[in-house]
Amino acid sequence: MSGPILSFETVSKTFRVNGQDVHALADVDLSIEAGECHAIVGESGSGKTTLGNLALGIHAPSSGAIRFEGAMLPAKRPLALKRRIQLVQQNPLSSLNPKRRIGASLRLPLEVHGLVHGRAQRRERIAKLLVEVGLEPGHAERAPSSLSGGQRQRVAIARALACEPDLIVLDEPTSALDVLVQARVLRLLADLRQRRGLTYLFITHDLAVVRNLADRVSVFERGRLVESGRVAEIFANPQHAYTARLIASIPVVTDDEAAVRSAASERADTMENAA
Amino acid sequence: MTAPLLQIADLRLAFDSWRGPVEVLHGIALNIRRGEKVALVGESGSGKSVTARIIAGLLQYQRGTRVSGHVAFDGKDLLGLSERAFRDLRGTAMSMVFQDPTSALNPVFTIADQFREVLGRAHKDISRAEARRRAAEALDHVLIHEPERVLASYPFQLSGGMNQRVLIAMALANQPALLLADEPGTALDVTVQDRTLHLMADLIEEVGSAVLFISHNLGVVREFADRVYVIYRGRIVEHAGTDALFHDPRHPYTRALLAAVPKISGEGLPDTLIETSDAFDAPAVIHDGCEEPPLPSGMAA
Repeated sequence: MSGPILSFETVSKTFRVNGQDVHALADVDLSIEAGECHAIVGESGSGKTTLGNLALGIHAPSSGAIRFEGAMLPAKRPLALKRRIQLVQQNPLSSLNPKRRIGASLRLPLEVHGLVHGRAQRRERIAKLLVEVGLEPGHAERAPSSLSGGQRQRVAIARALACEPDLIVLDEPTSALDVLVQARVLRLLADLRQRRGLTYLFITHDLAVVRNLADRVSVFERGRLVESGRVAEIFANPQHAYTARLIASIPVVTDDEAAVRSAASERADTMENAA
Repeated sequence: MTAPLLQIADLRLAFDSWRGPVEVLHGIALNIRRGEKVALVGESGSGKSVTARIIAGLLQYQRGTRVSGHVAFDGKDLLGLSERAFRDLRGTAMSMVFQDPTSALNPVFTIADQFREVLGRAHKDISRAEARRRAAEALDHVLIHEPERVLASYPFQLSGGMNQRVLIAMALANQPALLLADEPGTALDVTVQDRTLHLMADLIEEVGSAVLFISHNLGVVREFADRVYVIYRGRIVEHAGTDALFHDPRHPYTRALLAAVPKISGEGLPDTLIETSDAFDAPAVIHDGCEEPPLPSGMAA
């Protein structure tokens, strides 16, 4: 790890809804180190997706600054910068064009960013991307509707990889998947990060996934960053009642997990009573 | 031992398609005794929700469905029942809670109106005032502290967690013998889900209903069920007491499912995993003491 790749400096984002200001994010200070998997967790309305949208340049901050490799991100991003920060969304059925074959969906980013020259090279690159995410070159000819949920999510990952990004925003990438499929996609994401030296901004509500995939985690509650730190430390020793309550609410399947959970539950009770 | 409240034997379901009938349930056997909490757990497409819909009589009257086997409820053969007779059963002896609370409620009526309809199913000439009093009481049971405000609201004015609590209160208001809970809480945030499920468990305890708890979430099942059926591709693959299932899972599919769940004790991601395997087609494992009781007389195949 070598310094922050992305940093938020007192970033706020306010939306105007029905004539009222809604503070989606308030005074967020956060650094994402190069090469780490940084999880952003919180419940609905906590501002985690807004944070991802700011990283992607879909929204501009209302105040504060966002830096990428130390340089301020401009409000209007040049193409070269867009290429380096990519997105994988929750539902691949709505994020892939249903009328396009998989190959065509992968071709678009390659051409927009001028990453391939000529048909042969293009075909070769698409085949390579598909293999990299555990699919076969033949999948290029298929339509999204003929793939399973897990396969579609692999295509969405391949499309993000096509741009050769440095940072990928993963917005609930496995929440729509069954548990067996989820486990394999998580494994793929972990392998890709290592192989390609990627940085992940991993947005999720699922703390159990965070525990096993992320290096650090930042917990958001109603637009505020309540706690940030190394995953193992936060689970062993949550500093904030909200974090402890989140951990204490996770459904668990083993006795070891139940022990972690009840420790968090006791901690949450103590902190809530003290407050 | 008394006969179970609900007993299913050799339940098969097929949907008509242009290639002929496609069977999706291949002979399900399942029983629930009075006051017992039983879970049916499986992934999407395993057949858990259609099983619940058949028990509730919400599927078999649709065109293109073929249902066979035995579903005995409180001594009655449900598969022989007319659609009309089912309507009298639902909301009184049997009720349901579904996953998405907001779409399960009618958007153009207030909670009070919808509550009165539910209560009216069990008490034909209940007065407006009496219905409102009972509704407020029912809401109080699920820790809704301002019942009057909630009763005057439309579903869209309430949060998802609040709507789910309203539905749970409604489902249990007539003290049904059986509650069918299909992924309750799945659409909610984790802290709200946890709180809602605990409230539901407490209320079930108080009312004494039996529950068929349908879920894909093994953690939730571990917490709330007495017994568990694991369903895979339209077949029950394992049936055990909850403790036995989580400490001693025996079917390859159950083991794979449990291994695939990310653990908060931080074991890391499981290394080698299979999505589907021939091993999953292994014969069902029925733990000791979990054998299906014989069908009530007169209903044997």
